[in-house]
Amino acid sequence: MTEQPLLSIRDLKTHFHTDDGVVKAVDGVSFDVHRGETVCIVGESGSGKSVTSESITQLIPMPPGEIVEGSVYYDGNDITTMTEDGVRSLRGSQIGHVFQNPQGALNPVYTVGYQIREAILSHRDVSKAEARELAVELLEEVGIPEAPTRVDDYPHEFSGGMKQRVVIAIALACDPEMLIADEPTTALDVTIEAQILDLFRHLQQELDMSIIFITHDLGVVAEIADRVVVMYAGKVMETGSVEKIFENPAHPYTKALLECLPGQAGLEPIPGALPSVTDPPNGCRFHDRCPYAIDMCRTGEQPPLHDLPGDHAVSCIHYEDGDGDLPELEDVDRMDAAIGGAR
Amino acid sequence: MKAYIAKRLAWTFFATWVTLTITFILMDLSPISASGAEFVDQQVQAGMDADEARELYEEQLGYGDTMWDRYVNFMVGLATLDWGLSTTYNQPVVDVIANSWIYSFQYVFPATVISVVLGFAIGLYSATHQYTREDYAATLFAFTGISLPNFWFAIMLILIFGVYLGWFPIFYSTEHGLLSLENAHQLVLPVVVLSTSAIASEMRYARAESLEYVHAEFVKTARAKGLSEGQVTVRHIFRPAMVPLITILVGDILGLLFAGGYVIEVIFQIPGLGLVSYEAIIQQDMPLVLATVLVPVFIAIIGNLIQDLCYTILDPRIDFGDR
Repeated sequence: MTEQPLLSIRDLKTHFHTDDGVVKAVDGVSFDVHRGETVCIVGESGSGKSVTSESITQLIPMPPGEIVEGSVYYDGNDITTMTEDGVRSLRGSQIGHVFQNPQGALNPVYTVGYQIREAILSHRDVSKAEARELAVELLEEVGIPEAPTRVDDYPHEFSGGMKQRVVIAIALACDPEMLIADEPTTALDVTIEAQILDLFRHLQQELDMSIIFITHDLGVVAEIADRVVVMYAGKVMETGSVEKIFENPAHPYTKALLECLPGQAGLEPIPGALPSVTDPPNGCRFHDRCPYAIDMCRTGEQPPLHDLPGDHAVSCIHYEDGDGDLPELEDVDRMDAAIGGAR
Repeated sequence: MKAYIAKRLAWTFFATWVTLTITFILMDLSPISASGAEFVDQQVQAGMDADEARELYEEQLGYGDTMWDRYVNFMVGLATLDWGLSTTYNQPVVDVIANSWIYSFQYVFPATVISVVLGFAIGLYSATHQYTREDYAATLFAFTGISLPNFWFAIMLILIFGVYLGWFPIFYSTEHGLLSLENAHQLVLPVVVLSTSAIASEMRYARAESLEYVHAEFVKTARAKGLSEGQVTVRHIFRPAMVPLITILVGDILGLLFAGGYVIEVIFQIPGLGLVSYEAIIQQDMPLVLATVLVPVFIAIIGNLIQDLCYTILDPRIDFGDR
């Protein structure tokens, strides 16, 4: 891919200043999103997925949140250096957001039409009547039946799935080039989830948008993603095309995640829990739970992303030379001994 | 909706009737008053027998009839604005009320507007800037305002700004026209006293209710749309917080203003409903006491009616249609 990516995140660090210390929710994350592609960010709860996505347009509460380092280039411009008004002109118009819980994402005291119009009127110079017509069109586009009458209904008169369609309509109100969807189907039941995923796919083909899709559900990833970013404890563990990630996972964490999928092999939980976010361990963030960890994994910084063949990179010292593979489990102790001898 | 309003109105009349009936029973059961004793005393000095004088007095009050007759008299009188004669003022009670309410209204109304506007504005600012220096300052002000006793605060203001500095008159004078600048000038201190505690309590309520919505998910949606902070605050934080605030508003403001009114009118010598009521109680002028008690009761009942109707407009989820 030689063209400039639409969104390019470089070494992003978002920290939260709390009474218990500094929470390093996102600690040096880099990835690109090209035009028209769907990038899935996966990871377990607390891995920094949501904070990453909300740092892009600075929706995190600041304070206590702070983007301490790094850049977010959108169309070549660094959002982190923009003024408040500059960021606001991107929100909604260039970058739309869809959130996890449709029950809470709509204000109960306004009609859905009003809430869509609000998004249109804050970026486009149209009359109220035109905005209303646009709102009806948007509701039709996201699959709300009888949109011309439903536009005057209140959120509590819609079901969860229908509410999420309204939230998507709001996100699409100004034809954004990028849609950031933060676990948009997690709060919905499975049949509705399938419908909403279909809607995303359909919209992307129709509107040629870039989508950042955050999820912890690898089944969803397999269905929708072009590329995947695997996050763990505020760091990127592995990125690559969806084929590489699923067919040739490199990082032990990605492998472990895939083993958590229900399939032929039987479920395999990952032992242990996420490391402390206020006081992260040295070395690789995953070393504590990693069967392949050797002494080198436990010191220094998180390894840089090593490029692998194809569209694939991994943050693991076992791939330092650009290819290679994880050692056999029984070799791990022997490697430590060898390195220990050299030390 | 129409059925709901009709039901609500019927309930208002019922509540008023209950209040009036209870008031009547209490009044009817209470023994002869001080003004009655005075009347009897006068008649005895004029040469009448004491028992005859007492009977004459009771007859005048309508005691010769059965309780039911007195009750009917009482209710018909109230309904036809014949609220009896005030012995203190030697005037029909209705006239006394008609002459005095404007003196209360002239400072209660501005104090209400000021305390609602400022209280809500400061509360909203505090909520959106929680735990900042400004928030702590507002909280300090609120606790001070709530803790200051009205009477002490009023006396201190008179002492400092009236006696020592001489900026404001130390008591109210009815010589100035109601719409004159002098009148506005002499109402400054009463309005300050009354609004300080009201701002403080409105501010705390507004802060608490707004905080519910500061971190609401739909506020994030609103920001993600690209709305300005001002639009987000007013439309998506304050507007939903209005629903519970309206509830508090009528009862709280009413209580504060009427209770505060007594103290302020007595201290500043403003001849409004508070002072009239206070003197009526001291003089045991029963018809006048009754009237000054019923006025706020009516205002409270009507206020609650308006408040209930506001709910349905403010929060579309509240639907009284099927009740």
